Amino acid sequence: MGTNEAWLIHLTSLALVPLTISFVWLMLDLLRKDYNGVRVELTHPIPAILLLAFIFAGIVHMELGMRSVIVDYIGGQSRAWALAANTCFAALLALACLYATLRVAFT
Amino acid sequence: MASSDALPGSRRPRPLSPHLSIYRLTMTMAMSIVHRITGVALYFGVLVLAWFLIAASSDASTFAVFSDFIGSFIGRIVLFVLTWALFHHLVGGVRHIIWDAGYGLDAPLRDQMAWATLIGGFALTVIVWIIGLAIR
Repeated sequence: MGTNEAWLIHLTSLALVPLTISFVWLMLDLLRKDYNGVRVELTHPIPAILLLAFIFAGIVHMELGMRSVIVDYIGGQSRAWALAANTCFAALLALACLYATLRVAFT
Repeated sequence: MASSDALPGSRRPRPLSPHLSIYRLTMTMAMSIVHRITGVALYFGVLVLAWFLIAASSDASTFAVFSDFIGSFIGRIVLFVLTWALFHHLVGGVRHIIWDAGYGLDAPLRDQMAWATLIGGFALTVIVWIIGLAIR
């Protein structure tokens, strides 16, 4: 890994300590609620913003983590394909999660 | 990045790491492996979060499909394993932050911290599930 990747994975790991606690707190609340209850909860700005921050930091972190796993175990031509697939998967997942959260928050 | 060694036949294959089989297993090494496994589990576990959020952003009947899954036996097991993976990776991450700051690297303490990761991950999982089931 390069220094930029190492820096980012450390930075996101630090950010994810409080964000994971807030995420678990939010999920404890959301998982006992029904459809309408979940939607109302996510229209409140603080839970919504903390969830968006968790998703963003978490998915950047997991993309970088998977990069180091790929570089450790996969060599040759397939390494480039695996790295590309990893970035595409993470980007799509991030967009899907952020879009869905914002859609609930703004309706 | 990878493009320089992606040309087949142009050079001999570069070595891959790590060569786990030649080392005696230690607690720190076991926790390092579990840290990576839980990381990969969470990587795919985010799909469950994405499903939850997409379902919540759709209509009530779409959300009910997710609700039925997560309330089922299989769903609960998936959620329990993901809760443990999240807490184990979180506590392990804090351990790495402490190590990176230059503390806790001496022989007795580094093993104690590795044990604390294992115990802490399970303890937090059980505590959160007790809270979760109590407030339903």
